[in-house]
Amino acid sequence: MKPAPFDYCRPSTVTEALEALSSAESSRVLAGGQSLVPAMNFRLTDVSLLVDINRIEGLASVDCDPGGVTVGAAATQTRVLEHEGAAGVVGGLRAALRHVGHLQIRNRGTVCGSLAHADPAAELPALAVASGAMLAVSGPDGERRVDAADFFIGPFWTALEDGELITEVRFPAPPPGSVTIVDEISRRAGDFAVAGMVAIVEADGGAVRSASLVGFGLGGVPTRLATAEAAIRGWAADHPADTIAEAVMADTADAFDDIHATSWYRREAVAALTVRAARRALVAEEAA
Amino acid sequence: MTISEPISEVDVEVTINGRTRRHRVPARLLLSDYIRDTVGLTGTHLGCEHGYCGACTVIVDGDAVRSCLMLAVQADGGEVRTVEDLAPAGSDSLSPMQQAFHDNHALQCGFCTAGFLMTLESVDPGEWNEPERVVELLSGNLCRCTGYQNIVAAVTEAWSAYHGGGGSRDG
Repeated sequence: MKPAPFDYCRPSTVTEALEALSSAESSRVLAGGQSLVPAMNFRLTDVSLLVDINRIEGLASVDCDPGGVTVGAAATQTRVLEHEGAAGVVGGLRAALRHVGHLQIRNRGTVCGSLAHADPAAELPALAVASGAMLAVSGPDGERRVDAADFFIGPFWTALEDGELITEVRFPAPPPGSVTIVDEISRRAGDFAVAGMVAIVEADGGAVRSASLVGFGLGGVPTRLATAEAAIRGWAADHPADTIAEAVMADTADAFDDIHATSWYRREAVAALTVRAARRALVAEEAA
Repeated sequence: MTISEPISEVDVEVTINGRTRRHRVPARLLLSDYIRDTVGLTGTHLGCEHGYCGACTVIVDGDAVRSCLMLAVQADGGEVRTVEDLAPAGSDSLSPMQQAFHDNHALQCGFCTAGFLMTLESVDPGEWNEPERVVELLSGNLCRCTGYQNIVAAVTEAWSAYHGGGGSRDG
């Protein structure tokens, strides 16, 4: 349970970090290390050079304006969770981060690192897709921006190429008056979810006007629930919930089985969570 | 601070429990092994060594962290506190939280205890009096003996002791 030997460097600029990443065959970025270090302890990940980005000036910033929240690559989850402005602008960040690991994990783990790791059961990738987040990626060929919807390719597999580094991610503010709900089924607090979903719901006059719905823990990547998004429009609390649940079942037909739950269980769970999210959003709208 | 060229051994300077130490360590050395084997402070226990159990929790620059998920080199220039730092120096007494654990049978085998104590030490003692917050805080530490009830009871009692003692965490 110790990592195999590797080389280490601690650059002070993004340029130096990119040079280092390109200099070795199996180089990896070390941000919070809360997924990478266990993988190295288990020797599941082969690393010849670890590039520690934690001392790069300005990379741990969290910037907030009315249009959204920008989170730097080395900003920890705790820093975002406790940021005074961030939760007010993008409520989904707090809603999602509450479910991520435990205090000790969030104190080291980073938001960008969770996106780069791309665990299919993680909350932050689903939030990024649901909210239309944009990632800034730097690499040997310069900078590019990647829409979260195009970033996740498969389990633990993203659009990041060799030698590239996420420098920041921008979560845009959700529509005014909307409610963001992150809900999941997990065995214990802080564990990875068996299945869960992110809902950004706009309600008006006691009915849902529109919603962005993305499930996680269902397949290899965050799952957009497009049929359910159509079915939920105009839904009110006194309407039957069957139409929403059936739509979620249609959207999640490819959900996987494993030792923790069957595909059917995951789909039913996310259907129930979606109906619950719609109800909560309508209650919140009434209270507002 | 900057290490431009890739190296496999690193000079680190870490202040542990108030004492600054300098060592040359392999880059792959985990902070947990550094604390136990290089520095010789064996109060920090290693359970799972992959971030699941919380037994190895220490405080780095004020934050509770899993020392098995951090490299020693990442603590370079930083300040680490371990369970050895909790009891008042030069006396046989325990910290209020340690005493409360003792009095409430909040440990049996004791393997996980240092991790619980350091997690609790890392937060504002005011949080010890919020039962929901305490349960949430302790969710990152596994205990296989107590069933947690006595640990929660100990935290509540430590809060009373802390307040009764005039607000000094060391008192």
